[in-house]
Amino acid sequence: MKERKERKESKEREEGKATGEGGRGAARDALQGGRDDPWTAAWEVSRRKAVAVVDCRQEIPCDPCETACRKGAIRVGDDVCALPISEPETCDGCGRCVALCPGMAIYLIDRSADGGKAAVTVPYEMGEEPRAGMEARVVDGEGKELGRGKILEVRAMGGAAATLLVKVEVPETWALKVRGVRLRQMFIEEPEEVEGYRGTGDCLICRCEEIARAEVEKAAGSGFRSLAALRRASRVGLGYCQGRFCREPLREELARKCGRGVEELGIGSPRPPLRPVKISRLGGGDVRDTQF
Amino acid sequence: MALPAYECPMVVVGAGPAGLCAALEAAEAGIRALVMDENERGGGQLYKQIHRFFGSRHHGAGKRGFEIAAEMVEGCERAGVEIRLSSAVLGCFPGGELLVDGPEGVYLLRPQATVLATGAAERCFPFAGWTLPGVMGAGAAQTLLNVHGVLPGKRVLMVGAGNVGLIVAYQLLQAGAEVAGVVEAERGSRGYEVHLQRVRREGVPVYFRHRLLAAEGDEGVEAALVESVDEGRVRRFRVDALCLAVGLVPQAELAAMRGCRIAYADELGGFLPWHDREMRTSVPGVYVAGDAAGVEEASVAMDEGRLAAVAAAEDLGALDGARAAAKRKELLARLEGLRGGPTASHIRRARARLNAG
Ligand SMILES: Cc1cc2nc3c(=O)[nH]c(=O)nc-3n(C[C@H](O)[C@H](O)[C@H](O)COP(=O)(O)OP(=O)(O)OC[C@H]3O[C@@H](n4cnc5c(N)ncnc54)[C@H](O)[C@@H]3O)c2cc1C
Ligand code: SF4
Ligand code: SF4
Repeated sequence: MKERKERKESKEREEGKATGEGGRGAARDALQGGRDDPWTAAWEVSRRKAVAVVDCRQEIPCDPCETACRKGAIRVGDDVCALPISEPETCDGCGRCVALCPGMAIYLIDRSADGGKAAVTVPYEMGEEPRAGMEARVVDGEGKELGRGKILEVRAMGGAAATLLVKVEVPETWALKVRGVRLRQMFIEEPEEVEGYRGTGDCLICRCEEIARAEVEKAAGSGFRSLAALRRASRVGLGYCQGRFCREPLREELARKCGRGVEELGIGSPRPPLRPVKISRLGGGDVRDTQF
Repeated sequence: MALPAYECPMVVVGAGPAGLCAALEAAEAGIRALVMDENERGGGQLYKQIHRFFGSRHHGAGKRGFEIAAEMVEGCERAGVEIRLSSAVLGCFPGGELLVDGPEGVYLLRPQATVLATGAAERCFPFAGWTLPGVMGAGAAQTLLNVHGVLPGKRVLMVGAGNVGLIVAYQLLQAGAEVAGVVEAERGSRGYEVHLQRVRREGVPVYFRHRLLAAEGDEGVEAALVESVDEGRVRRFRVDALCLAVGLVPQAELAAMRGCRIAYADELGGFLPWHDREMRTSVPGVYVAGDAAGVEEASVAMDEGRLAAVAAAEDLGALDGARAAAKRKELLARLEGLRGGPTASHIRRARARLNAG
């Protein structure tokens, strides 16, 4: 529900801004909680120069955008969870924040060239190499293809393991919708329907000792009330992995069967060795035959 | 059996962000900690991460995980901290000795202070076909991808749309795999919206309110059966690998062996060593930090590691009360900031419960 609402708001915002005036006030109230709407400002400033647009709408503990900007055009402030606020007038379109934002939520828009076109710069981290002059699929935030755009420029930014910044030319009306470029053709095959599914039967719960879930259920049903008791009865969880794989599922299974909370069962009493180890090594010291 | 035993002031178990920051902070107080890790490299989870980290400037955010790991390891080297790799701590005895299996052999350590920074283990759940080759935890997939440069599969289904599932799905795409979808039983993602958007943008469908039923195949995974929780509709995804990112569990075994009181907090991953705000466990001289003290994030792990070291240094008499208090105040304020957002309300709730007893 909340997700749908947010999506609707972002849609209003995009439409409002991309067509100029309409929906401006509403978008501001919905998104910025009464603060100055940086999207409107960015849209206007982008008529003159490339400018950063920040699409970060969730208050998460994150602030590299602020440290990235040498102009002080993005502020998060002392509260690391606060939403970033950008100042389009101060921004010089350098793109550092685009490269360094871990959420890849910042991009540049530039409408200074005339002719109904905009240049949008997005971060790119996929394997296929983008090059100037190539046609790329331009996608929106949902991954929907808006259409094709020509790559105008590719540059690397953000330290030794850089992020590529890809500048594409798109119709001006897409400027605030573009979120990425894709070079790969995706074949997302639709999964096939399975009619009359009847379940898959039993499965192993302890892979090392090959003990099926049904056996554990039976043991739990016949009065075993702790992991330790269960182990004594069946060797479940006592195999090579020392219970690493099955401990949690076992506990959950047992709790369900006994009608108790997982926390009531307790952590059990783990004993050394915590990891599989050759008994000969425990004998003390002779490590000559061991490869490291 | 007579195992060699060594005395030392402080041992940190785990060379992840929590353990390395604990060692760095201890070094500042003049204590030379010995850091033990069973991996061949230092950095814990971070050295496998190729994405840029969220977090704050105090935690290296904006850099890639492996870069942050390398910086911390270098920092430790400069500070004279010894990191022993390929060294697993197999046990922790009630008397305080640690049993170690390392390149030098099997031996005992007798530290005055022990910081448990063992991180978390991936949660697993059994389903029909889960033992087929091609079914793996997201962490294992990441090790294949980012450490060994091997694709876990050509077409992968990810189970779990938390941050780990989303980030690993993105890394699979980066390495050239196809991601047939991300399946999530809940109505929405527990992960951050920006990570969800990054995956969506690449055209990967995210199936909320869907659950994995089974993996099919003879020699390895050939398909996965997935059910929509609300409609009961079952569908078959043709994939050759299945990645599980269904949560992490604090590794609390060493603490339990040592006799530390164990608490339970679902929001933090399950059982964990009880600890106070200053990262002291119920056993004097034993401290805990990072995901082992409740699954959160690297930035939290770093500050918790420092807090644990401050407490240890104070208890060992290497840091006077006033200086310890000043450091602690700053670290606690930073942690409060990191946990201050709406996405961390469950963490705040669990922490309040833990602190109350
Ligand atoms: C895919 C993924 C993406 C993530 N992205 C982010 C992000 O962008 N930002 C963020 O802040 N956080 C992120 N995290 C979370 C972050 O990685 C963890 O919170 C953090 O690594 C926890 O640090 P830690 O030191 O507690 O544990 P770890 O990093 O897990 O380190 C624990 C270490 O202890 C060692 N160890 C354990 N037991 C023993 C033993 N018995 N003997 C010897 N050694 C032992 C392990 O080998 C390991 O090296 C991500 C996690 C994952 C999985
Ligand atoms: S593009 Fe450059 S100047 Fe503009 S906000 Fe980003 S970092 Fe600052
Ligand atoms: S760096 Fe990116 S994800 Fe982090 S707060 Fe800034 S805009 Fe948001």
